[in-house]
Amino acid sequence: MSTIPLLRIEDLRTYFFSRAKQAFIRSVDGVDLEIARGETLGIVGESGSGKSVSMHSALGLVTATPGVISGRAVFHDEAPRDLLAGLDACTRLERRDGRIMSVEKDNRAWQKQVERNLAGVRGGKIAMIFQNPKAAMNPYETIGAQISEAVRLHTAIKDPVAARERALHWLEAVRIDSPRLRYDNYPHGLSGGMCQRAMVAMALAAEPRLLVADEPTTGLDATIQARIVELLEELKTRFGMTLVLISHDIGVIARLSDRIAVMYGGQVQESGPAAMLLEQSELGHPYTHALLASMPRAKNVKHGGRLPAIEGEVLDTINVPRGCRFRERCQRIHDGIRARCAGQEPELVEVTPGRRVRCWLYQA
Amino acid sequence: MTPPLLEVKGLSKHFSQRRGLLRMLSGTAAGTIPAVDDVSFTLAENETLGLVGESGCGKTTTGKAILKLMPVTAGVIRYRDRDITPLSPAEFQPLRREIQMIFQDLDAALNPKMRIESILHEAIALREPELDADDLRRRAYDLLELVNLKKNKLANFPAELSGGEKRRIGIARVLAVRPKLIVADEPTSALDVSIQAQVINLLRDLQDQFGLSYLFISHDLPLVELVSHRVAVMYLGQIVELGPAPRIAHAPRHPYTSVLWSSLAEKRSQEAVSVTAPTWGVFDFERPSAGCRFAPRCPVYAARGKPPECTDPCNAPRLREIEPGHVVACHFPREP
Amino acid sequence: MSRYYQPHDTVSEYSEIRSWRSASLVDRAYVGYGLAVVVLVVLSYLLGMFGWLPHDPEAMDLATMLVGPLTENYVLGTDYLGRDLLTRLILGIQAYFLPGLLSIAIALSLGAALGVLAGYHGGRSKVAVTYVTNLVDSLPRLVLMLLVIAAFKPGIYTIMVVLGLTTAPTVAMLVQGKIMMLRERNFIESAVALGISPGRIILKHILWYNCRALLLIQATLGMAEAVLLETSLSYLGFGVQEPTPSWGNMVQSGANYLLQGNFWVSTAPALAILFTVLGFHLLGDGLNNMFEGKRQR
Repeated sequence: MSTIPLLRIEDLRTYFFSRAKQAFIRSVDGVDLEIARGETLGIVGESGSGKSVSMHSALGLVTATPGVISGRAVFHDEAPRDLLAGLDACTRLERRDGRIMSVEKDNRAWQKQVERNLAGVRGGKIAMIFQNPKAAMNPYETIGAQISEAVRLHTAIKDPVAARERALHWLEAVRIDSPRLRYDNYPHGLSGGMCQRAMVAMALAAEPRLLVADEPTTGLDATIQARIVELLEELKTRFGMTLVLISHDIGVIARLSDRIAVMYGGQVQESGPAAMLLEQSELGHPYTHALLASMPRAKNVKHGGRLPAIEGEVLDTINVPRGCRFRERCQRIHDGIRARCAGQEPELVEVTPGRRVRCWLYQA
Repeated sequence: MTPPLLEVKGLSKHFSQRRGLLRMLSGTAAGTIPAVDDVSFTLAENETLGLVGESGCGKTTTGKAILKLMPVTAGVIRYRDRDITPLSPAEFQPLRREIQMIFQDLDAALNPKMRIESILHEAIALREPELDADDLRRRAYDLLELVNLKKNKLANFPAELSGGEKRRIGIARVLAVRPKLIVADEPTSALDVSIQAQVINLLRDLQDQFGLSYLFISHDLPLVELVSHRVAVMYLGQIVELGPAPRIAHAPRHPYTSVLWSSLAEKRSQEAVSVTAPTWGVFDFERPSAGCRFAPRCPVYAARGKPPECTDPCNAPRLREIEPGHVVACHFPREP
Repeated sequence: MSRYYQPHDTVSEYSEIRSWRSASLVDRAYVGYGLAVVVLVVLSYLLGMFGWLPHDPEAMDLATMLVGPLTENYVLGTDYLGRDLLTRLILGIQAYFLPGLLSIAIALSLGAALGVLAGYHGGRSKVAVTYVTNLVDSLPRLVLMLLVIAAFKPGIYTIMVVLGLTTAPTVAMLVQGKIMMLRERNFIESAVALGISPGRIILKHILWYNCRALLLIQATLGMAEAVLLETSLSYLGFGVQEPTPSWGNMVQSGANYLLQGNFWVSTAPALAILFTVLGFHLLGDGLNNMFEGKRQR
């Protein structure tokens, strides 16, 4: 029972269309992710990797066109349900040389279907907290009112007085100071850190099974980041919260995650237990290894104070090369596999139990 | 003993608070926000001084004040042993090109309607106005080569460049006027992790090649430790500690510095957790605490039972040398 | 069902933000029509200036008065004094063309100067300019004009100067707004830091690169205003007086003959006003949409 993942994303593809360039932006290009109950999955990646867009897609939050064009997001709470069901009926894809070049999609019908699928789930069973907390909260309502609203919407408590008490309970749980005073504050009256805590309280008020945190510490000061990280840690131990943490900050990911998925160019390049991935060993995906090596840490500094940087630019998912997406920046390419790296895209395969890597170095 | 390249003494910048029209007309005095308060440091040639602190501590304002992008309220700035504080904009103009700034905002230096070629040509022509078109182009190629960019970028508009490329063009533009001192304001903050290392290496190479000095402003502590020779830590407009980078990072003496460094997400520090005041984060400039500004949040202050010296307004802690080249502003600096 | 199709395998590095190509058909039509009007006006002005007219505007031939359009020599017919309408229409442009240009010149230069002053220096200049512009904006223009005329009985050029002065505030606020936006983007500050002189920053970076679209559009609108103002005043009898033709006074004097069935005497100049003003407005609108249109990724 506990081995069935709480959320499983299969072959998710989310494309956007650029009219100026007449081309697809392949933000999420075939992503598979699994989150088990009670564990924390850290999704790490740079800009354009698709880490935020994949979770937004799974929750039906992508409204730009064409948006989600294929894939399933199976949420298994008491019974499995595909959050993206109904996609096949609304979409038609055409491939050319194995690559999707034409999409026909009934956006309205799909949006309606997805809203139906996600009713009760979004905000209730799956809650999300966003980057830039002040912008994510309603500026015209006090934070207390917003949390109470979440309580009334997603729990059995409908009485306003009881909801207020519950909201205060959650404000205390996130260790905001003077909860009763802060209840009546507006988002602009709070600092970034406090606003982020309020948003966490709002997410928790629904008592979700899964919490998705999209860049929760970005934009906050160093000391505040540490407190938010501690808060999330506490949520894990105290409530057994299942957490999906999206961040480009490897330090935060390292501290909180049980398992990590590394994304690049719209795909998962490596996934596995956190401790294993974070060892700077040569056993994983070249991208992960190079990324860790290029971070400003004492042990990374080479002679003359230089950092081993990854050459080249981060992949712009509008011009996706054939073959492996990391090929142009990879340091570990050698003649034996060069042809395959250039011609064929590797699959995500298990190289050691629990660890999957998308690289020709590990596949025959 | 050669004088330092840059010497800042007692620099202060107070922003007056906005007032309504009536108040302004009636001349009532308004409160001021002491964004930078009595800041002093030196910067030698070929040296990198890191300036760290959280948002609102005044580091960007300090940088802009050095460039004379805003008038200072008090203090002296000496560049090459010459007092530049009282200079008018016209008098300062020839010195401007020697003191340059890399702005935090990637788009700052780039007029979105101008091609990269025009942007670079304009910068080059500032120093060498008599060049013809061919020479300008050649210089532009040289600059692109210095920052590792391909020549075809010249035809692009800024909107068509990636973050890392924009940062490099910003650096190239600054280099075009051949500065000696560069204030780098968060040069890597908006960039992807894999690009940050490239930019850091570039800045280092340029320092070696041209003998540049950097005032490196950042909130990324491991990065500052890596690139700086010395580091100054700012809190609420004041420098609380200044010393060699390794010592600041691994053996800090001021309580704030040690909290700052130990709050790195990777470390689980008892000190960071033990800060009892839960209101960590809201700065209240309008009513800075009397005496030491850090006292309300200082773990040492709490641990020592709130000693009165820390909140005595006549006894605000001043920077004292506790080791050669290492100064701290604290009544109870930590033991090494 | 929406269809998205990517024709090419690889995508170019350049984003090809070319205004003309990404403009909608409607905008292209507007701009095309507007440009045609501008060309016609300029041509007519030149014809009038050099006197290359089909007929002598003052030649009165009572024998051929009030003949309809497309009669022999008279393409648009004649008026109640036998004067050729087409000739008079062409000449009517003289009444507003140069004065209109004058009003635009004043509005743009004064407006840009004030806008730069308010936006670049800020502080007290900004407050002062804002108050003055709000004040001038709140005056009803036509009433003001009539008052000026009643008081001073000025010529058309003076009137256009007043028009320019009253339009300058709008331009000033637009320029100032633009500069406020540019300030947010820091590149004015970085230009100063680099060592570019303030004069160059204002002229090149602010006005030329960022304000020229705005100013061009204001010019088209200003010209439309000038046409309307001049023709209104002439219609009311305050502007150009007979026998010098102005579209306004042509409409006025031809009105008497409308009920007799000779509608073209009044209608032709009225339509001329309509299509010309429409042309300038559409030109401004189309250009505005093209330049400020939604940027696509």
